[in-house]
Amino acid sequence: MAGRKRARCGGGVEVLDSIYSVVALVLILVACVELGDAATAVDVYRLIQYDLAGMPYGSRHAGLNHHAGAFPFAPGADLSRTVVMMPVRELNLTLLQEYIINKQPFGGLLFLLPQKVGKKIVGEIKSKDDGLMRKILVELEQLLIHASIPYPVYFAFEDDKINSLLADVRRSDASGQPTTATTGGYKLVVSSPEPKKLSSPTITNIQGWLPGLKGDGDTSQLPTIAVVTSYDTFGAAPALSLGSDSNGSGVVALLEIARLFSHLYSNPKTRGRYNLLFGLTSGGPYNYNGTLKWLRSFDQRLRESIDYAICLNSFGSWNNELWIHVSKPPENAYIKQVHKSLSDVAKELGVTIGIKHKKINISDPRVAWEHEQFSRLRITAVTLSELSAAPELLENTGGLYDTRDSVDEAAVYRSIRLVAESLARHIYGYQGRNIQIFADNSSLAVNPSYVKSWLDLLSRTPRVAPFLSKTDPIISALKKELSDHTVEVHVQHETIDGMFSFYDSTRATLNIYQVASVAFDLLFLLVLGSYLILLFSFLVITTRGLDDLINMFRRPTYRKVKAS
Amino acid sequence: MTVFHFFNCAMLTFGPHAVYYSATPLSEYDTIGTSAKAAAVYLGTALVKLVCLATFLKESENDNFDPYQELLKVLINFIDVAGLYFALTQLTHRNISQNHKFQAVGLGWAFADSVLHRLAPLWVGARGLEFTWEYIFQGFEANANLVLNLSLAALGSLMWLRKNKPRTLIPIIYACAGVLATMPSITSYLRRALGWQPAKVVSFELFSSLMMAFISWQLFSACQRSA
Repeated sequence: MAGRKRARCGGGVEVLDSIYSVVALVLILVACVELGDAATAVDVYRLIQYDLAGMPYGSRHAGLNHHAGAFPFAPGADLSRTVVMMPVRELNLTLLQEYIINKQPFGGLLFLLPQKVGKKIVGEIKSKDDGLMRKILVELEQLLIHASIPYPVYFAFEDDKINSLLADVRRSDASGQPTTATTGGYKLVVSSPEPKKLSSPTITNIQGWLPGLKGDGDTSQLPTIAVVTSYDTFGAAPALSLGSDSNGSGVVALLEIARLFSHLYSNPKTRGRYNLLFGLTSGGPYNYNGTLKWLRSFDQRLRESIDYAICLNSFGSWNNELWIHVSKPPENAYIKQVHKSLSDVAKELGVTIGIKHKKINISDPRVAWEHEQFSRLRITAVTLSELSAAPELLENTGGLYDTRDSVDEAAVYRSIRLVAESLARHIYGYQGRNIQIFADNSSLAVNPSYVKSWLDLLSRTPRVAPFLSKTDPIISALKKELSDHTVEVHVQHETIDGMFSFYDSTRATLNIYQVASVAFDLLFLLVLGSYLILLFSFLVITTRGLDDLINMFRRPTYRKVKAS
Repeated sequence: MTVFHFFNCAMLTFGPHAVYYSATPLSEYDTIGTSAKAAAVYLGTALVKLVCLATFLKESENDNFDPYQELLKVLINFIDVAGLYFALTQLTHRNISQNHKFQAVGLGWAFADSVLHRLAPLWVGARGLEFTWEYIFQGFEANANLVLNLSLAALGSLMWLRKNKPRTLIPIIYACAGVLATMPSITSYLRRALGWQPAKVVSFELFSSLMMAFISWQLFSACQRSA
């Protein structure tokens, strides 16, 4: 601390030097204070650690205190005390896979993610590199979250500090032996307590209503259309699971649709004869556990009043084909009707809508699409998604690769137009007629800046449900936004079903120390010792004479007392 | 390992003082009391210097080299000389020869300086995991400082305690003492205004202090001979 102070202020050096004189005494008294002043401190994000049905997955440790190393290593090298730094840019996935499968012991793994690229122009064609990087990240993520890794694994973003460190490590590796405790190098330290199991991870569902115009009877007699989307994410690094596409795009669409219809519903003349129910559900990556809990909280009457539910899932990066996923056969009258109303609008917008039918196997715990939770309760529901096939468990849940760059705003606008328009035609009974309710440049047009700002916010906020508290800012923000447009906003807290349990400490600070080797210290001690002995001999010889020195060694206890 | 490094650096910083005390006749005459008194005087001087610096010096925001401020600092550094004068002449020492007195005072002075200026940073910094050359350089600086203080004390004792000096040597003695007293300011100038690297500064300090020590020694023995 003191040393750094000295380096920082030049003008006050003299003053500070004198202050030391006083401070020194105090400092000596508080000598037990341990100060970690590393040359470099970097924010790192830990690989998720979770248990699935009792089986351990992810990185099982958090504390790190080892030397840094980098590929390539000599075959057979002992890496159990080395933190291997791997730039994702040049990752050899097959090699890594081998290491993980063979349970090769590492001291730790530090993945270096490429620096976030600056703002991209909307609609810009993604470079080939980007696509490749995305593919690598997807594969890396799947590899890591489905393995149980007995050492700490961290992610960091490349920057100048880290890159120069990596270059240094590589140079010293190339010049000879790999770094161990005796040859010096860099030490990477994360002082983090052992991760603890989260006691009761909660998931939070938010719902809001737009009540339709009462006819003669009660409101609840009106049919209800539900627009539902899950907002939480899951990924290799919980603190980096931003999920811009999956399912940030869906959340944005839901909020915008709620906003558009709140305009229509605020005026009794344009209020439809349908209730609209908006649901932001959590627990999406865990078989839509939140959706299940949310549906179970409905009473029978409400459940029966739902005409159909439309679930929004990932449509931030499609070009001209969206998919409707259904559980009932497409020949079903309700499904047909929903499909037709969507594909009519799609035709006008110049895109196509495909339909995919996937039967539900009741005995299979896997729920691949959100609408399947509805279908299991015999509610007509569809999922609208850019994905053509059902994702596996914990796949496509908004992980590392799913950043703001992967979302095309134009695609989100189109999706919103599509859903809003088809809903409106259904509500107002304009099926088959070419009436654009949310036409561009009208007062009811999709608001690009609203969409963009929400997309930006969601792309900045990691939303892994177990790590979101009940009063997390993003949950409050979503609740507030929904209550601005809808009424009877209700927040439901539930616990995730027992299959999953999670461990804390998702982010940490990595201290990088440049350390000297023990060999250096020993050598230094040797040189120092000889220096002091030489000095001693020199002083004795010059002040008392050589004989005294020799006498001193001959009779160490005897001291000749000179009379002064 | 880091405690090891701390130990090494501490040995480099404080070892020479101990070696000097035990190797020279100082230990035979048990002059530790004199050194302790000198150290106490150093403490008082440091306090006075601190007050002066705080009173007269503007705390500059940036690292710019301001000649006027620097001159003021040099003047304030001369308070050290006054302190040394007090330690050499005003304190009642046990009946020891002038020869040993200046050594004891110089040693006490240098040791107090090392303890106050270097022990705390060393304790805080050198035990950390991070390796820097800073504390090794600091150890060497302490060595140079010891030599410098001993030379200054020697010249001081020539100036203030010895009555019969060769007339021709008097201006040289005063000039050398002046150079020695400004040495800390010179090194600070080199470090900050010229931006020398620490290694360069430390080697300059070592070299210059040895040179000055040699000159002082020659002067001292010349005076001794003439007496």
